[in-house]
Amino acid sequence: MSNPDILPQQRRENPDPEERTTPVPWPVLALAAALAAFGVDYISHADLGAPSAWGDGRSLAELAGDKPVAGAKLDGGAIYAARCTACHQATGQGLPGVFPPLAGSEWVAGKPGTLAAILLHGINGTIKVNGQSYQGAMPAFGASLGDAEIAAVLTHIRSQWGNAAGPIGTDTVAEVRTRLADRTDPFAGGDELAALP
Amino acid sequence: MNTLAILMSAFILSIVGLGFFIWSQRSRPASTTTDGSEVIFAKGELGHPESITQSISTAHGPAASDNLELQARVRADASTAQVVFFFYCCAFVWLLVASAAGLTASIKLHSPDWLVSQAWLSFGRIRTIHLNAVAYGWAPMAGLGTALFIIPRLLKTELVGARYALLGAALWNAALVSGLGSLAYGVSDGMEWLEIPWQIDLLFVAGGALVGVPLILTLLQRKVAHLYVSVWYMGCALFWFPILFFVANFPGLHHGVEAATMNWWFGHNVLGLFYTPLALASIYYLLPKLIGRPIQSYNLSLLGFWGLAFFYGQVGGHHLIGGPVPGWLVTLSIVQSMMMILPVAAFTVNQHLTLKGHLSALRHSPTLQFLCLGGLMYTASSLQGSFEALRSMNAVTHFTHYTVAHAHLGLYGFVSMVFFGAIYFVVPRITGRDWPWPRLIAAHFWLAAIGIAIYFVSLTIGGWLQGSAMLDESRGFMESVALTLPYLKGRSVGGALMALGHVVFAAHFARLLIGERRRAQGTASPLKTATGAL
Repeated sequence: MSNPDILPQQRRENPDPEERTTPVPWPVLALAAALAAFGVDYISHADLGAPSAWGDGRSLAELAGDKPVAGAKLDGGAIYAARCTACHQATGQGLPGVFPPLAGSEWVAGKPGTLAAILLHGINGTIKVNGQSYQGAMPAFGASLGDAEIAAVLTHIRSQWGNAAGPIGTDTVAEVRTRLADRTDPFAGGDELAALP
Repeated sequence: MNTLAILMSAFILSIVGLGFFIWSQRSRPASTTTDGSEVIFAKGELGHPESITQSISTAHGPAASDNLELQARVRADASTAQVVFFFYCCAFVWLLVASAAGLTASIKLHSPDWLVSQAWLSFGRIRTIHLNAVAYGWAPMAGLGTALFIIPRLLKTELVGARYALLGAALWNAALVSGLGSLAYGVSDGMEWLEIPWQIDLLFVAGGALVGVPLILTLLQRKVAHLYVSVWYMGCALFWFPILFFVANFPGLHHGVEAATMNWWFGHNVLGLFYTPLALASIYYLLPKLIGRPIQSYNLSLLGFWGLAFFYGQVGGHHLIGGPVPGWLVTLSIVQSMMMILPVAAFTVNQHLTLKGHLSALRHSPTLQFLCLGGLMYTASSLQGSFEALRSMNAVTHFTHYTVAHAHLGLYGFVSMVFFGAIYFVVPRITGRDWPWPRLIAAHFWLAAIGIAIYFVSLTIGGWLQGSAMLDESRGFMESVALTLPYLKGRSVGGALMALGHVVFAAHFARLLIGERRRAQGTASPLKTATGAL
């Protein structure tokens, strides 16, 4: 076997390293035990029963993070965009003859309690808006939206597209929800709504 | 039996099994030698830290008394010099390409109207090019080059089939060129870390096999009874990566949620089971060599290696927290992410005890500076990663720049730093030329260190604020975007410093190649290099 030339760089380095057989320091072993204990604890507290489709089983409330502090507002515009635009449109004009407009609507600018009642229980019947009759179905949002969310979206529609009615508070919605707690069917139309106190 | 009982028993059994396995391995070196620390460490070198001020007489002392060791080392180097040189040249090219692409992508995040006339320069493509140039260019070229250099030395044998490794490297780089080209053209597989189309991946597989097989054949030719810890890491990285790459890129195998799970199984494992072991092996080899001491504890090495090997493969699931994947999978990956603290601690303690009392060597050895910074960043990024896996922290940091900062702390602060150090050590041994301007090494070091510091701090703060804003219902989404702007600019500053460091590094390398070769003449060669890069 031919011996290659030895480079000065190779000559001046230390020989290749090796290892001593010093035992593992006890703090490292203690750390190992602590980590294993953590693992057992973490697994024993994990929620594994939830169906996979739910992800890791965190509820909507947990994912939402910190609850809005006093003074902070829910984004009524976002709720409107998510829930209402399909029918009433982003412009608030609705679809002529099919879905009533919210812009300039006497119902939107009218009694806060009535407006909250519409959102909570929906309508199934004839309602007159801006002089035109609509025959349609407004879904109920009482089960899917909280009082604060309903108040936020109502406040939003009362301040958009030329509407200038005052805001609606969470307490108003909560009061209507309690008052109509026994109701299971949607309102039968504009006449029944007009009769509300 | 319910899921909880199965998961719990599997966890406990595997931990106990792993403990017994490591315990059973612990006395191996002592069984082959009466006193490992004396026999395995060559004669006459204890207490001779390698330094640039070393006189000729001490430099020749160990060489004269331990000629066989030196000759085996020289023969190993002669068999690898050419192929390692080729790997390193490619690494330099990809480092520059990746830096340019990364910096462009970074600037685009705060100046979106910059360079918009070309489709391939749009953010979605240039960022992907950056990631792939690092992941399949710079990191593997530097890491595999270093492995090719170190493994034959540690096995006291010559590299078998260096020509095949050279061919493999050529194929690999051809694959990368076409892969990046297809990404620039807009053709991609659409999964992070796996963007390169699978048709091109076939070339990677062929190239990788041609690099890996010679190393495995070399392992079979070994002339040592005990395998040094660096060989475990490098050998296993060469087994793990092909499996990861092949399974992850196999077309039509995974769909939907399964594909996402596999995607992060691959994405996380390629960091922990390929780049990390290659870099750790480089530290395990170079650190004791540079300070002239044996590694403190074989037992700690065992704990660090087998801990990594066992825990790491299961941690990828923490990228899917909150996703529609089984709860047990996510829970297990969170627990194993935390268990990773153990091998990280074992490595850290081992290096710390080895280095203890020899910190003065840092002043003379630029390689050691890079290695020590890299080793510290390994500890830092690993601990950070473990806690990032916890649901409470993940809720804030997931989908934010915080994760990007963490990824760069790992792949740049740790892996790239170590490879920089290794290249500074290896190049003089394979070319016979010393680094001509040691001050440029210092410039590179500080540009890289300060650059990554600015990068990391900016994005960590920005990412945390971004995550907090996204969780706050009362703030709009755009607010969480807008508030990151100053931190994104900070990232571009840090990135520019890092890129400048790489230009210095590459220019220095070019100057070294152009310069006069200083060759040893027989045995009476004086140490020509006055100041130098080891």
